[in-house]
Amino acid sequence: MNPEYSWLLAAIPAAMFFVIAFAGRYLPRGGDYLGVAATGASFVLFFALLPDFLDVFDAEAHVLAVAGSIEWSTIGDFELRMGVFVDPVTVVMFAVVTTVALMVNIFSIGYMKGEPRYYWFFAVLQLFVASMLMLVMADNLLLLYISWELVGVCSFLLIGFYWEKRSATEAAKKAFITTRVGDVGLLIGILVFWKETNTFNIQEIIHMAEGGQISETYLFVGSICMFLGAMGKSAQVPFHVWLPDAMEGPTPVSALIHAATMVVAGVYLTARMLPVFAVADHMLLIITIVGLTTALLTSAIAFAQTDIKKVLAYSTVGKLGLMFVALGSGSVTAAMFLLMTHAFVKALLFLGSGSVILGTHHNQEMDKLGGIWKKMPITGTTFFVATLALAGLPPLAMFWSEDELFAAAKDEWGLWALALAMLAVFATGIFMVRLFIRTFTGQPRDPHVYEHTRETPAVMTGPLVFLCVLSVLSGLVVFHGVGTALGFPGGISEFVFQHEPHRYEIDWALAIPSVLVALAGVAIGAFVYWGNDLRRSTALANAQPRAYDLIRNKFYFDEAYQYVIDRGVLGFSYLTSWFDRYVVNDTGVNGSAEVTGYAGSVLKLFQTGRLPNYAMAIAVGVIGLALAGLWLRG
Amino acid sequence: MVPLENYLVLSAILFSLGVYGVLARRNAVLILMSVELMLNAVSLNFVAFAAYLDPDKITGAIFAIFVITVAAAEVGLALAIVIRLFRNRATSNVDEAATMKW
Repeated sequence: MNPEYSWLLAAIPAAMFFVIAFAGRYLPRGGDYLGVAATGASFVLFFALLPDFLDVFDAEAHVLAVAGSIEWSTIGDFELRMGVFVDPVTVVMFAVVTTVALMVNIFSIGYMKGEPRYYWFFAVLQLFVASMLMLVMADNLLLLYISWELVGVCSFLLIGFYWEKRSATEAAKKAFITTRVGDVGLLIGILVFWKETNTFNIQEIIHMAEGGQISETYLFVGSICMFLGAMGKSAQVPFHVWLPDAMEGPTPVSALIHAATMVVAGVYLTARMLPVFAVADHMLLIITIVGLTTALLTSAIAFAQTDIKKVLAYSTVGKLGLMFVALGSGSVTAAMFLLMTHAFVKALLFLGSGSVILGTHHNQEMDKLGGIWKKMPITGTTFFVATLALAGLPPLAMFWSEDELFAAAKDEWGLWALALAMLAVFATGIFMVRLFIRTFTGQPRDPHVYEHTRETPAVMTGPLVFLCVLSVLSGLVVFHGVGTALGFPGGISEFVFQHEPHRYEIDWALAIPSVLVALAGVAIGAFVYWGNDLRRSTALANAQPRAYDLIRNKFYFDEAYQYVIDRGVLGFSYLTSWFDRYVVNDTGVNGSAEVTGYAGSVLKLFQTGRLPNYAMAIAVGVIGLALAGLWLRG
Repeated sequence: MVPLENYLVLSAILFSLGVYGVLARRNAVLILMSVELMLNAVSLNFVAFAAYLDPDKITGAIFAIFVITVAAAEVGLALAIVIRLFRNRATSNVDEAATMKW
């Protein structure tokens, strides 16, 4: 099958969206099997397309991508083409999106059972999968922007799925508006590049940027604006505030949209535009600093969260920050590898937390859980593996991708970036172990909850086991042998790269500190919280009350934004509303109407209805005109 | 030969009488008659100018014929309105027909 047909991947779920949205409520079980069938079809189709793509792909001859497009419209001498562009980056995204989407669809059958608007959940899920797949294969920025907004809408709809709850609608609005702030930047960036290059095609823009055909100022402004869009979508500081609140949505949605796929759209966009950003002044340094700041700040916040999903959300933001560090270090390989392994691990963690929530009858506070590993063996074990994988222990998936990241950061920026990135990984180890211990081990904190806890059905544990296997094994694709065995030209660094492929070799000088840092994180976390005992951590919090207060309140980001909105935005809107009410409405609109009405009420009196008056007016007028004519002639 | 000014003065007197009649009279029929007077004053002007100034001596006469035709049509229409007014109000006084106003 020709890889150009990859648009079918998106077309199938898109068609299913309309079917389920309109007919779902009349179908038995809300048509959930249609959703699974659609994402399953995309999943299978991807593996049908992959060998053909690999046949075309040839790193030696620099044949790296397949593109196909159709003419969309022609305006003057500007021709707009829409099409697909499939390269290794897109292939990795396809693999992540189709796999996680299928698992989440299956999991949702169990998790969403008995919820109101069951069919609508599956419908929007299909729309999301279609838009996300469209996003990663768009060959031009316009199509990318359309898909970008579509996934944003799906995110909005699904965060606000329980719209009877006020907190859910607030969270949906917050997510939408916060990302919109970045999206405005993205739109401006797209237009800036269009103005300079007269095309929306990404490859042509890259070509012109590398050829120095875009002036430096425009290149920098356009890059910064586009990166703002990426920061908004990928919840980088200072836009990170929406992602933890987005946990109001159903947990499968958190797994699919807010951990594995949509939030990495910003990483994807930056990876796609990296050749352009690399040419712009200081752009890579900015990306690295944003990524490191986010990774460290959110890791700190995650220490003091007690909601399982909130901890996972902050950890997601932190890992997205590390992906940006990889991109800032110029390594598309490390970023995409990290993205893929993180997607599998974090999807597993979120689905695991969903399993916990359902198994304990809607409890997601650590303070009420504890000791449920025995009651939920499959969930507990897979969660345990995922915790260690996220902490970066070898040979689990994220160790290998973080190793790539460390190597890239050290090569590009030197030891400071490496040290800060390792610090973030170290922190991840601590709070992830804290999360696992407090949820699954020790004495139950709430005996009532513990008593009613039971393992979830196979439709939910199945995806957990599948993702657990991926979380263990997916890191191994870094090796040449594993890659060739799977039919790829080599390990992931020989498949996904920006300039030249390189063969992965273990660098012990880097691998050993990396293992030690991960182990230290896990060990410290285990030491502080062993046996679900809070005495040590309470002592720590009491020793540094101000620091604890700071991270407990998430560095007061929300309060600062609220203050700015209250004083700045509402103050300005008060001024404009005053102007609108008194100047535009009362003076402009009502004023002109009143003048006209008053003039009419006076002038109507001239219409007497009496014939002699009119005749006299005509006579006087004619005589007046005659006199005026005489006078003018002199 | 009678000078042109005599015709013009006669025409002006007739026209002024017509204007006075239109302004001063209240009976619709009399107003119509005054209008006819004004029209005839104009026709007289046309014919006089044609006889004295036009080499062909014909243009003004044709205008006069047109004016008579228009006057006949106008009277036909106006008298019909007056008859309707009289039927409805039992008067031909135009002051009575003053309801077409605000």
